[in-house]
Amino acid sequence: MSDLNTIIFGLVLIGGAVGGAAVLTWFERRLLGIWQDRLGPNRLGPFGILQVLADMLKLLSKDDWVPPFADKVVFVFAPTAIVVAMLLGFAVVPFSPDLMIIDINIGLLFFLGMTSLAVYSVLLGGLASNNKYALLGGLRSAAQMVSYEVFMGLSLMGVVMLSGSFSLRDIVEAQSDMWFFIPQFLGLYVFLIAGIAESHRLPFDLPEAEHELTAGFHTEYGGMKFAMFMLGEYLGLMLISCMIVTLFFGGWLGPWLPPVVWFFLKVFIVICFFILLRCAIPRPRYDQLMSLGWKYMLPLALLNLLVTGAIALSMEG
Amino acid sequence: MLNAEVLNNNDTVGELYARFGASSFAVQACPDNTPTLWVERSQLIAVLQHLKNQFPMLLDLFGVDERLREHKPASAKDYTVVYHLMRFKPVAEIRIKASVCADDISLPSACGIWPNANWYEREAWDMYGIEFSGHPNLRRILLPPTWQGHALRKDHPARATEMAPFSLDDEKQQQEQEALLFKPEDWGMQRATDDTEFMFLNLGPNHPSVHGVFRIALQLDGEVVVDSVPDIGYHHRGAEKMAERQTWHSFIPYTDRIDYLGGVMNNLAYVMSVEQLAGITVPDRAKVIRIMMAELFRISSHLVFYGTFAQDVGQMSPVFYMFADRERLLGIVEAVTGGRMHPAWFRIGGVAQDLPKGWDKMVREFIDAMPARLDHYQKMAMDNSILKQRTVGVGAYNSQEAMDWGITGPSLRATGFDFDLRRDRPYGGYDQFDFEVPTAHNGDCYDRAVVRIEEIRQSLHIIRQCLDNMPAGPYKSEHKLTTPPPKERTLQDIETLIHHFLNVSWGPVMPAGEASFPIEATKGINNYHIISDGGTQSYRTRIRTPSFPALQQIPLISNGLMIADLIAIIASIDFVMADVDR
Amino acid sequence: MMESLFYLASFIALVATVLALSRANATHALIYLIVSLLAVAVIFFLLGAPFAAALEVLIYAGAIMVLFIFVIMMLNLGDSGVAKERQWLSPRYWIVPGLLAAILFGEMLVALQHHSAALSGKMISPKAVALELFGPYVLAVEIASMLLLAGLVGAYHLGRRFLARTEMEEELQEELKEQEQQRAQP
Repeated sequence: MSDLNTIIFGLVLIGGAVGGAAVLTWFERRLLGIWQDRLGPNRLGPFGILQVLADMLKLLSKDDWVPPFADKVVFVFAPTAIVVAMLLGFAVVPFSPDLMIIDINIGLLFFLGMTSLAVYSVLLGGLASNNKYALLGGLRSAAQMVSYEVFMGLSLMGVVMLSGSFSLRDIVEAQSDMWFFIPQFLGLYVFLIAGIAESHRLPFDLPEAEHELTAGFHTEYGGMKFAMFMLGEYLGLMLISCMIVTLFFGGWLGPWLPPVVWFFLKVFIVICFFILLRCAIPRPRYDQLMSLGWKYMLPLALLNLLVTGAIALSMEG
Repeated sequence: MLNAEVLNNNDTVGELYARFGASSFAVQACPDNTPTLWVERSQLIAVLQHLKNQFPMLLDLFGVDERLREHKPASAKDYTVVYHLMRFKPVAEIRIKASVCADDISLPSACGIWPNANWYEREAWDMYGIEFSGHPNLRRILLPPTWQGHALRKDHPARATEMAPFSLDDEKQQQEQEALLFKPEDWGMQRATDDTEFMFLNLGPNHPSVHGVFRIALQLDGEVVVDSVPDIGYHHRGAEKMAERQTWHSFIPYTDRIDYLGGVMNNLAYVMSVEQLAGITVPDRAKVIRIMMAELFRISSHLVFYGTFAQDVGQMSPVFYMFADRERLLGIVEAVTGGRMHPAWFRIGGVAQDLPKGWDKMVREFIDAMPARLDHYQKMAMDNSILKQRTVGVGAYNSQEAMDWGITGPSLRATGFDFDLRRDRPYGGYDQFDFEVPTAHNGDCYDRAVVRIEEIRQSLHIIRQCLDNMPAGPYKSEHKLTTPPPKERTLQDIETLIHHFLNVSWGPVMPAGEASFPIEATKGINNYHIISDGGTQSYRTRIRTPSFPALQQIPLISNGLMIADLIAIIASIDFVMADVDR
Repeated sequence: MMESLFYLASFIALVATVLALSRANATHALIYLIVSLLAVAVIFFLLGAPFAAALEVLIYAGAIMVLFIFVIMMLNLGDSGVAKERQWLSPRYWIVPGLLAAILFGEMLVALQHHSAALSGKMISPKAVALELFGPYVLAVEIASMLLLAGLVGAYHLGRRFLARTEMEEELQEELKEQEQQRAQP
């Protein structure tokens, strides 16, 4: 792609991702409604889709309030960090063989780096609010996300070994014979759980845990700044889904349909799966989540690494 | 009277006489046949200590302002404190009363005998200004700390119109705000130890999982709860004071709002006490209708518990299913009573109307559908391993602790203590029904839920029996104090017309006396102690609710756990703040 | 183009570092430090070491600094902490180290004049890094991993001691409670 095309595609992608996140909020509520024996938003527009617009208008027209006891600069800065980091993460996602902003040879590491930066949003939001619930939420998020980043990175190393590259395009192309979810099912399992923990959605939404910490790190947030957090969360969900598809389910690969369609179809299914998880599973306790991570996820990820390495070596030899 | 005979044959009383001498006690005859003994202040603690061996539970402790009472018992001075004790196997109750004069208004504290006396004594102090010497923390509990006077005294105004108009000037606002300032020392908490600085978290009164306006101050070390102090009173509406201003009949709707999830279950406790006082027997049809409605509301209340329990441990979906079921159930309630959450449908001497046509079809549809749905919920919520991890072994207490703290109902049965008033001292026709009393073993959060869920099934079983065996006959008693009296004969018979007119316009006049009637409500034992002074209004109505002592016990079972555990514990207790604060 | 980006990133890194040093509020200082680290990552990338850049973001900016902020959250510094920091920022604390650093900086400038290949532009792929690490430097990697293992065991040991101590405290509290109960009962 030429520079100009890349810039245009980048802008389209930003618009698409933000718009997609907005529609995703509506879609999630409808889907939850179906699963929970109720309707969900159904009044505005066809199937209630204009609810998205109404919500946006509401959030935009809210008082842009900064609590007097908060650290003002950090308080305003925090919600932007997650949105920026998540949007940057989309830069390396290969939507089709030639539809991606940049194909760098450290694509996968770039994605991991961006998700690790997204932690700051939650952390600083919790710290700057100067509120005890927010502080507890921030503390939880720091411990949870730093730990799960480790397993997330480790779980992907098997994929890297099999494809021999950090470049996401190479990884997808390496799956033309067999999608990686078969040889890397352990990796997928760990990555899935780490992915939920990183995007802090139910069942691992401990940083906000409504029933314990009222709203956790964003207790003091309202209006557009709150909307940014929500946007970041949904962008994160989409990004993680894109990565799962890219790394384990063959990205754009698939017969008959154009590659882009395949990609979005798979992403859609993964997103539905995430919503189903949110709908079905209760929230573990903070220390249970941590011990799940260090006692089960870490050994599993290491085991996966070891076995994959051994097999890769024996295949070579 | 029958009463003297009962007293003389009573082993407990005989023992007390033998130990302390018959002259130490004055006997009061009560229509409910509960032995009621007056003791002198000097002997109070010794008597209570002696009784503790036989009556493990302090069911209730409350004050009475005797100053304006015309039919005053001979031993009554100005203020009386009533200790209502209970034994379970076999079921027996006893009331001990101690009276004090207004100029020396002090009694020894019973906190050393029953730990749950703590809050009850604080309430008696709050409401009547009765001092309890030796009480560790005699502060206001239901009313705000800046309140002037003692609200349940007869000379305290009952309505805003009897007081000067409310105003809040700067000085007063300052005072109120200072009273609200949180000082850990006042709550008996340390700010820091040598190597740890504690964080204090004010959970509530507005918090998503405290089920109303309940506040609990937490002393935290990280996320671990070092100490917790529950604070109640934010939902206090003075139901007991209102009872003294309403006629016997017109107080019924207020009872609905005590445990607002229990609906007619509150009516039942109240009207049973009044009927006991008036000596009204209720016809069979009314009995069965009452049981059916009460069990429907037990299901409704337990469904709300079930859903919120799952929700508070972070499971999002079950609550929607359970509320959908409850909606169907309230549809039946609406068809029968016209109301939903607060039907106010039971009457003194029966119920308000006969059952509507087609009620049996609705009820049958509901009870046929429920078991399969409960199986589904079992799989969805209770069998979930994360939910088990969150609740098994968390917040456990044993039967002894439950007794000490006055815990009754499903929360007591969860400890393995097999006791249910409906079976062990059947009232209102429960002896005619076949049902099991579910129990569990560990007394932890999970078991408290298990017992309640099994109770839903048992209630369905009882309702099916009501459905299949609904007797014919009148739905109201013929007794002259039945309110409102049956109207059919009023136009033919001057006597009944006069009764009808008086009972509807003034309300019935209940004979002077005292009665109480503990029933197995949705959350535990609910008991209305009613004192009539021979008027159209109650002289004193004391409402003993199961939620009040349960909250007092929270620190015992939650200290040392994490915040998330505390939330699971709060969810598993199944309380309603209106039931706590009244 | 590349060169101007390089100088821009360097400038940001320098400014952010100075700001990080001069902030009294620890949180603000850390945010500037993170910005500085990110700028350094960009410099690495431009110099042809994308792997190092990614690790800089992942490990320094993404994990270590998070732990720094975590500690600050735990410490509950508040206004008194800011005041103390401000006191430390008075010139008599930083003038001598500043002078020493300036001398070092001068030395570096002199030294750099003799080597003028700042932007080689040669890309070093992750694979190349890996081959180097597990080829000639394998012994260093092994030693480093042993060191990390020792650190892990040490951390576990410290944590265990802490756990044992809380147990002791609990026992003590229980004893105290019992004593209180005994006192309460006449």
